[in-house]
Amino acid sequence: MKLTTKFTLWYFGIMLVVLLIGGAIVYYEIQWKISRVEVVRHERLNDIIAQQIRQGGDYTGHPTRKRAMVAVIPRDSVPRGVVTFYTRGVDWNPEFQSNEYKLVVTSFYTINGLHYRVTTYSFIPSFYQLLPGVVDSFKWILLLLLVLVVISGGLISKYILAPFKRTMRVIQSFDLKQKESIRLPGTRTSEFRELNEFLKKMTDKAREDYQSLKEFTENASHELQTPTAIIRGKLDLLMESDIRDEQAILIAGMQNALERLSRIHSSLTLLTKLENKEYEAREPVCISRLTRETIGSFEELMQMKALTLYSDIEEKVYVSLHASLADLLLTNLISNAIRHNMSAEGKGIIRVRLHRDGLVIANTGHEPQVPTAELFERFKKGNPGSDSIGIGLAIVRQICDLSHFDIAYQFSSGFHILAVSFNTRVPASKFLQNFSLPLH
Amino acid sequence: MKVLIIEDNQELTRSIHDFLGREGYICESTGTLEEAKDKLGMFRYDCVLLDIGLPDGNGISLLNLIRAEHKESNVLIISAKNALDDKIIGLEKGADDYITKPFHLAELHARIRAVYRRKNLGGASIVAFNEISLNTDTFEARIHDTLLDTTPKEFDLLLYFLVNKNRVLSRQAIAAHLWGDYTDNLANFDFVYQHVKNLRRKISAAGGMDYISTVYGLGYKFNSK
Repeated sequence: MKLTTKFTLWYFGIMLVVLLIGGAIVYYEIQWKISRVEVVRHERLNDIIAQQIRQGGDYTGHPTRKRAMVAVIPRDSVPRGVVTFYTRGVDWNPEFQSNEYKLVVTSFYTINGLHYRVTTYSFIPSFYQLLPGVVDSFKWILLLLLVLVVISGGLISKYILAPFKRTMRVIQSFDLKQKESIRLPGTRTSEFRELNEFLKKMTDKAREDYQSLKEFTENASHELQTPTAIIRGKLDLLMESDIRDEQAILIAGMQNALERLSRIHSSLTLLTKLENKEYEAREPVCISRLTRETIGSFEELMQMKALTLYSDIEEKVYVSLHASLADLLLTNLISNAIRHNMSAEGKGIIRVRLHRDGLVIANTGHEPQVPTAELFERFKKGNPGSDSIGIGLAIVRQICDLSHFDIAYQFSSGFHILAVSFNTRVPASKFLQNFSLPLH
Repeated sequence: MKVLIIEDNQELTRSIHDFLGREGYICESTGTLEEAKDKLGMFRYDCVLLDIGLPDGNGISLLNLIRAEHKESNVLIISAKNALDDKIIGLEKGADDYITKPFHLAELHARIRAVYRRKNLGGASIVAFNEISLNTDTFEARIHDTLLDTTPKEFDLLLYFLVNKNRVLSRQAIAAHLWGDYTDNLANFDFVYQHVKNLRRKISAAGGMDYISTVYGLGYKFNSK
């Protein structure tokens, strides 16, 4: 929901409550005022009647006596401390032949030692008759306010939120890799100024962190690779010296560990670089050609393992991917398919299918001992005993994430099937279903 | 061959020095950009091994100088940064090849030879030893005059052996040479074993001597004597 709509709704809600309370106040105020005015009139009338009694004379038929009742009452019937009181209630109005609201005002006077009770009454408009009028007028007020709030809300928010929207635009185009800090438009609204200052600080910090992380990666790479290179060089030289068999075994052990070390290191560095988005696609790369080349470069290995390859590669498939990453993706997938294949002679099969929307690579192999989705994690291996370091698929997934490709992995009927979808609208899992296992 | 090693790490320099020295190369070394400039100003080198990350500057800046004044020198960049950018910039600025740390010394040697062949020997790119001759342009291997039916990897392997004669080549070094850096496949050295086995069989079948021997626990060696 938009901010303006939210504000408008809230205002409307508050207005509704205020108007309801206001309506009730107005209603009761009018009711009280009408009674009050009428009571005062009757008190004056009672006073006039009392004056007439004081002066003496016959006032029967005088207009003042039209709705008046004068009675002499015993002294003990006079209520103490009360000069006048009034009552209200619905009573029969013979003049209009209907039940109406009746106000009766009773006053007590002591004239020439006698105690008089003067009672006058009149019919006043019922309060219930006022209610529709009050409701009606408030309805109009509410409507008017609503229209004004909606119109002004739209206009004012456009004006007030303009700096916010400009800030949003700047932030949306923010790139961690950009060299200069962001430039946010000035504003007089203190909250937005605060927001802008905060954003500027935050993005500057993020940029600095990114830079230092990048530098760290590069430095770590440099600083670690040099000693590794030295060890490797020394071992190479040591191998050439006159050594005994048991020493050779020790050297071979070191060579192996060193190989793993350098591979893990370069893979992790690569993953970091991928996460930092250092390889962006500059132009679409022809994945058809690359797939063919990669398969070609592994052909000898496949022959050695006596693997049967079935490939179905559509021509001229272009994807938006850095050429080195495309190469890495294919190399990892295909070498995985070779490495984790059946070792028995002639039993292993690799199927590669490339089409416009995606790539599917399937290979025979042992059932993985962990769920296939977990194999995308770093250092996860389907077979814990294997010599690999278990980072190939993590790199594959990172490349896919980076390029907004979907990737899915499934093991079914003896086949490991890995599918990559180049088309964001088509989930990779769809290819798994469509990848019919009978071979052509 | 005269080689200038521009590398700030003494130990690494010494290793390269030792290894190449045994091949009969004359090596000189320096650890700073300034000294490298001086040396380049005074002497002629067939090959310059250039580390990019030097204490007093980026080695790439030296490339311009080398290209301007030492057209005949081969330049091989050594870098710990596996950054593609460095690689591309380096090659664009006139480096002949690029190798990343940690490398096997045999690999470095093979690269130096390859660059040297490409540039200094004109079209005649024949690597020969006794009855074996390899044409690196046509990828043809011959024993005496019999054409050897080698796969590309086997050809590559034989060339690697010929360049690094009498050196123990570890299975790791061979695997890295044949399949590059990023293939996790290398863990399976069976492939190396298979390739070497096939190569030996083919050479013997063509009437060649079996120069390749297994070095217990470590790898293989091409014996010239």
